[in-house]
Amino acid sequence: MNTSRLFLVGILCVNLMGTTALSQAPSNQAALAKQSSIVFAGTVSQLGATSFAGVPKSAQTIVVRVDSVLKKPPAVSLKKGDNVTVEVKDPSAFRDGTQATFYTDGWIFGSGVAVKELGHEIPPSGGAANKAAGAGEKPHPQGPEQISDQDLQNRLNSADFVVIGRVTEVRRWTVPKYATPPRVSEHDPDWHEAIVEVQSVLKGGQVKGNKVVVRFPGRNDVAWVHSPKFEKNQQGIFCLNKDQASGVATEKVGGRQVTVYTCLGHGDSLPMSDAPRVRSLLKN
Amino acid sequence: MKALAAFWLRFLMLTGFVMVAGSIFVRGQSSGIKVVNLIPASLSGEANQDSEPFLAVQAVNPQIMVASAFTPNPFSANGNAPVYISEDGGNTWVLSAITPVPRMTCDITHAMPTGENHPRGDLHAGTLACASSITLNESESNDVSASAVMNVQSTRTNVDQPFVRALGISSSDHIYVGLNDFNQPNGHTATVDVSVDGGATYKSIPIEKRKTSGQDGPSVRPAVAGDNTVYAAFFGWRKFNGTVATSDVVVVRDDAGGIGPLPFQALKDPSDKLPGRLVVQRVSIPWSNAPTLGQERIGSTLSIAVDPNNSSTVYVGWADHGSKGDIYTLHVRRSTDRGVTWSKSDLPHTTIRDATNIALAVAGNGTIGLLYQQLSSGRWVTHIVQSRDAFATIEDVILATVPANVPAQQFLPYLGDYDYLLAVGNEFRGVFCANNTPDLANFPQGVTYQRAADFGKKTLTDGSGNPVAISIDPFYFSVPVKP
Repeated sequence: MNTSRLFLVGILCVNLMGTTALSQAPSNQAALAKQSSIVFAGTVSQLGATSFAGVPKSAQTIVVRVDSVLKKPPAVSLKKGDNVTVEVKDPSAFRDGTQATFYTDGWIFGSGVAVKELGHEIPPSGGAANKAAGAGEKPHPQGPEQISDQDLQNRLNSADFVVIGRVTEVRRWTVPKYATPPRVSEHDPDWHEAIVEVQSVLKGGQVKGNKVVVRFPGRNDVAWVHSPKFEKNQQGIFCLNKDQASGVATEKVGGRQVTVYTCLGHGDSLPMSDAPRVRSLLKN
Repeated sequence: MKALAAFWLRFLMLTGFVMVAGSIFVRGQSSGIKVVNLIPASLSGEANQDSEPFLAVQAVNPQIMVASAFTPNPFSANGNAPVYISEDGGNTWVLSAITPVPRMTCDITHAMPTGENHPRGDLHAGTLACASSITLNESESNDVSASAVMNVQSTRTNVDQPFVRALGISSSDHIYVGLNDFNQPNGHTATVDVSVDGGATYKSIPIEKRKTSGQDGPSVRPAVAGDNTVYAAFFGWRKFNGTVATSDVVVVRDDAGGIGPLPFQALKDPSDKLPGRLVVQRVSIPWSNAPTLGQERIGSTLSIAVDPNNSSTVYVGWADHGSKGDIYTLHVRRSTDRGVTWSKSDLPHTTIRDATNIALAVAGNGTIGLLYQQLSSGRWVTHIVQSRDAFATIEDVILATVPANVPAQQFLPYLGDYDYLLAVGNEFRGVFCANNTPDLANFPQGVTYQRAADFGKKTLTDGSGNPVAISIDPFYFSVPVKP
C-alpha cells in the first residue's frame, strides 16, 4: 500500500476513533486530504496577519502555530512550533487560540510557509482532534516523484487509454521529412518508440492486435525531464493519448496503419504495484 | 566563587554559540559585493536542479526584483511554475507560483519596465510550457507581490528561447521578445516580437534576410536604449551538419522602437547590402545536446548590450569553437558608430577559453560588465569583469568557484543556456547558477544562504537537521559599478 493511501486510512481511522465532532463529513475530509499538499494541526495565534515578509496581508490571512505536521512535500521545511500564514476562506470561523486541522495547498515560500485553505476541521473540545490527528507523529512525506491521488485522477480522466502492458521493443524514430521540416532546438525530443504488448485495458476500448506504438522523448532536456523513458521488457501501467506532439499521428505496423500514442507526462507510466490504486481511482 | 565561574563559563559558551550560529547563514560579504542563494528557508529540503537563471529589476523601484530558474512548483505537479521575488533589493527572496505555466517552465525570461506605472509590477514574461508541445506565453503582472497568476496576453506554438527586454516609454511598456520562430517562412527564423502597448498586442518581425541552413540559431537577443534605439543580435546559421553550425553573428538595429514600416533594417552590411550587419562571418559553433563542456551542453550563447545613455556604443559577445583544443571560446566585439563598423578582433581580455553563459550590460557611466562561467581545472568559475576602456584594463572578480562534477546532472542544461546581467544605477546586478555546497572557499566574495546550511560542516539540511543532497541553486549578486 502506498504512503498516500496509508495517510488517508490514517486520517479516517483517527476520525473514527476520535471523540471529536467534526465540521466535515469523513468522506469529505478524505477528499480534502487527497487534494491537499500540506496538512497540519495548529493553533491560531493572530487574525488579519501574516507570519513573514512577502505575503500579502488581508482580512483572510491568519497566523497559525503548528502543533503537528500530517502531510507535506519533502522539499518544504515545516515542523512543530513554526508559524504558518493561512489564507482562510472564512475568517469569522477562527479566533485567537482556535485549534484546528488545516487542509491546504502551498502558496508562498520564504522565511516561512504560507498556504491557502482548502478546508479545516475544528474539534468542539478544543484540542482533542489535534492530539488524535497525530501530534508528535512523523509527518507523512509525499515523494518528489510520486504522483498524488488527485493528480493521478486528473491524468486518468484525460487519458484515451489506460493499459497494463510490457515493452517488447524500443527504437529510435525519425520524423519523416514530409511531415515537418526538421528543426534544431535544444528542446528537440529525439523521439523514440516503444512497442507495448497490451495485457489488459483499464480504460478505453479494445486494442487491435494487442500492441500499441508509444512515442516518447529520448532526450534529457528540461522540456522532457518529467516524461517517462522506456526500456525493453519494462512492465507497468501506461496512460496513453493519441499522438499530437510528434506531427505524425499514425504509423504502419505489420501492414496496417495504426494510431500512435504518446506517454509524456509525470505519472503517465506507473509500476505494477500501482494497479490497485489505478483501478480504484478509475471507479470514481 | 564556583557559581560565579560556572556562570561566566555558561555565558561565554552561550556567546560563542550565538556567534557561530549567527554566522552560519551570512558569511563574509565584503567590498559592497552581495551574493545570495535564492532558495528560501522554507524550501530547505529541496534538491532540484534549479538551473538557467534570469532576473528582472523594477526600473523605478529597484528594491523589487523577480528572478527565475528551472524550479518546479514545490507542492503540486499541476500547480503553476514559480518565480523568486525580492522586495528588499535582493537580501531576501520568496517563491511564489505566479507564472501561467504548469509545474515548471522550460524557458523563462522577463523584464520590468515602468511605463504603466505599477510600482510592484509591470512584469512582462516570455515562458515556454512543455507539457506535450512547446507553447509560448507572453504574459504580465501588475503586482508581483499580490501572488496572482500572470495574465496571458499572447500564446503561440513552435517557437524557441523567448528572450524578453523592455522599456517604459510615456505611459506604455515597449516589449521586445527575441525568439527563434519556426513558423516564419524560408528558414528566416530569427524573430523579434514587438509590443508597444504593454503586451496587449504583439507583432512578429523576422529579422533574418539571408539564406539559412533552414533556420537560425536558438539565441535571438534584443537590447534597448533609453532613446528608443533597439538592437538585436542573432546567429545566422548558414550551414548545419548536426554537430557544427557555420554561422554569422548578425546585428540589426531600429531607431524608432521597431514600429516603423521597415523595422530592424537600419543597418545594412556593405558586402551584400542586406539588412543586418555581419559582425563575424562563417564561424564554427559546436552544437551538442549532451554534456560537452563539463556536464553542460553547448551551442548557442550570445549577448548584446547598448550604452543606455549613448546608443551609438554597443557590445556583442558570443561563443564559437575557438582555437584548436578548445571546446567553446567566448569573444566580445564593440561598435561605437551604431553598429555600422565593429572592432576587427576580440576586445582585449575577451577571448576566453572553455567558457559559456556570456552576459553583457553597460552601466550609466559607460562601464561595461561581462558575466561568464568558465570550466577551469574541474571547477565552474563564475566571473564578473568590468572595464571603463573597452576591456583594455579590467577588474575581474570571481563570484563562485565550485566543483564541476558534483552534483550529477538531472537534465540539460546543467547550469543554464544563459545567465543574466543588468546595470541598475551604480550596481551591476545579475544571477548565475552553481553547485550549492555551503563552503566559503567556493564563494570568494562571501555569500548569504536563506536555506538551512552549515558552513562549518559544509552541508545542507532540511531545517529539521536531516541532510539534504547538494544540488544546483540560483544565486543573485550585486557588484558596485567601477566609477
